[in-house]
Amino acid sequence: MSDPPPPLVVRAGQVWWALLRLGAVAFGGLGPALALLDRELVGRRGWLTSADVRDALSYTKPLPGSTVVQAVTFLGWRVAGLRGALAATAGFVAPAALLTTAAAAGTAVLPDAAWVRGGLLGLQVAVVGLLAHSMAGLLSKEAGTAGLAAVAGAAAVAGAFLNAAVVVAAAGLGGVAMERCRRTRPGRGSSA
Amino acid sequence: MLELVGAFLLVGGLAFGGGQAALPLVERLAVGTFGWVTPAQFGVAVGLSYATPGPVLIIAAYIGHRAQGLAGAAAATVAVFAVPALAAVAAASAVQRLSTTRCLPAFGRTAGAAAIGLLAVTLLSLARPVVDVHPALLTGSALVALAARRAQPLLLLAAAVLIGAVAGLGAD
Repeated sequence: MSDPPPPLVVRAGQVWWALLRLGAVAFGGLGPALALLDRELVGRRGWLTSADVRDALSYTKPLPGSTVVQAVTFLGWRVAGLRGALAATAGFVAPAALLTTAAAAGTAVLPDAAWVRGGLLGLQVAVVGLLAHSMAGLLSKEAGTAGLAAVAGAAAVAGAFLNAAVVVAAAGLGGVAMERCRRTRPGRGSSA
Repeated sequence: MLELVGAFLLVGGLAFGGGQAALPLVERLAVGTFGWVTPAQFGVAVGLSYATPGPVLIIAAYIGHRAQGLAGAAAATVAVFAVPALAAVAAASAVQRLSTTRCLPAFGRTAGAAAIGLLAVTLLSLARPVVDVHPALLTGSALVALAARRAQPLLLLAAAVLIGAVAGLGAD
């Protein structure tokens, strides 16, 4: 960071409340959520700059986990340190967690009627379509090169026989090995 | 309960490529290994996690609730976001050191691509209970996939539930 962080005048409680409100309306995945975060934390509250939001995306993208939540954690840290990070994460996840838990409890007590079965079947039909749509999007965005597309294809085949965790971890290790092989330029200073 | 927490810690720790890319792992553990939900329930759970705001991995709350009630929902939710949140804190507090490391991005890129490929397996297992009812229902799925380029997922899900419920009433 080139600039020193601003003095910590924002309390964790304020961070929690702001992110709780965002968590209740963050529909539509990563892109819309980042736009919301920028509008609220940069535009409305002035706690951060748009550069912080860009940093949050680029530094958490390579990490495992839900990138939306990690961007929120990262931004919470930038606003108010560790307490801010925890408050932001807890606040952002809470609405979805409550809604999903309520829905789980609700579907468990639904009557065994024809309209209920039909509605749930409709949901499953739509989910297959939505997942196919987002898989196509993810393939072109995250596996755009021929090499990565081959990895995705091989994983699809391997996944029919092997444990999913093993496939993901093995692919990652393979990626690290390839990167080592091609590491011809020395890094900055000692990290060779 | 230990199995539940362990499973979702693993899911969070291996969710390279984002939350959606972790759905295959969730499916394998929750439907296959531990049998907390049936394949059809898993399909409903994915639908609900699309329909609610926030991350798709909130599916942990649904599966946790099915496995262990309210405590399970809370425990699975905390577990699935614990590793990613700690990693994000580490990234935020050590940004410069991390950005000069090339191994982690390399791991993430290929692991993420593999996870996306695995979605094909998940797609098949989600489609199976639908096909078991009637193969022609996949036409509806294809229509939703096409419409998803323009329309909000929540809207499409709501429409599908409504059509399904009305059709169910009619068939009754």
